[in-house]
Amino acid sequence: MGGNSPCASCKLLRRRCAKDCIFAPYFPSDDPHKFAIVHKVFGASNVSKMLQELPVHQRADAVSSLVYEANARVRDPVYGCVGAISFLQNQVSQLQMQLAVAQAEILCTQMQQEPVMPTPQMDPDDKSSYLFHDSLPQYLNFSSSSNVIHDSFKRESIFGHDMVS
Amino acid sequence: MSHSTRCAACKSLRRRCPKDCVLAPYFPPTNPQRFACVHKIFGASNTTKMLEQLPLHLRAVAADCMSFEASSRVEDPVYGTVGIISQLQEQIIEAQSELVKTKSEIAFHNAQQQLQQQQMQQLQMINAIAQEGEDWP
Repeated sequence: MGGNSPCASCKLLRRRCAKDCIFAPYFPSDDPHKFAIVHKVFGASNVSKMLQELPVHQRADAVSSLVYEANARVRDPVYGCVGAISFLQNQVSQLQMQLAVAQAEILCTQMQQEPVMPTPQMDPDDKSSYLFHDSLPQYLNFSSSSNVIHDSFKRESIFGHDMVS
Repeated sequence: MSHSTRCAACKSLRRRCPKDCVLAPYFPPTNPQRFACVHKIFGASNTTKMLEQLPLHLRAVAADCMSFEASSRVEDPVYGTVGIISQLQEQIIEAQSELVKTKSEIAFHNAQQQLQQQQMQQLQMINAIAQEGEDWP
């Protein structure tokens, strides 16, 4: 890989691109921005360590997710990816509420019908009833050194982030 | 000119913790794991730079978010927070599909009810006409 042209990482770091360069498979020279942004947020040394700790077949996915996170953090230096998580959690909550309302409406409709219609059994394993209870793991209930984050991440729509593509 | 107790960052980096240490307010010595994750994933220097670029009132939130991202990446070294985002997106698709299914059930029930009401009304009309016919001498 490092034979003729250095990979984007070695180009940026101004060093010889070795044949077994850990970055070369994932940061081709024709996309310098990809490594630049990962280097800016995480640092080349940290990325190298992270990749070395992973089996080869998982490194491509790890690089993709690191690039995604780095892009998110550059776009939003305060919230980064967490902004997207908060937005999506909010969407899930709203859908849960809408589904609860719709399911309540169905129950009322069924109860108003002739007694020939059997009352539907509430099966806890039934997927259609799973949203009566909160099945969403609380990703954002982490302890922090301040209360700011808890106030920000209550279930309210805070922002309408565009997802980083 | 320095903190009496070093912050987690300065403790980990084995340096004096100055009074204006950028990291000290957000990485207290009582939670060394928090800084350890951020240091491993972002690095102390990057973390300092990123916080310095922000106005003071936003740094606490930013530090919390970075801490969350770092600990997510430590837990899931391949996907980090992107794994969480994928899960949430899947949940949204499932919930939307359930909602569509439930709304179409409601529409079906409403249509059935309407049909039944119409049939009742027609029966009543027929009965009324039949009754009138009987009442005629």
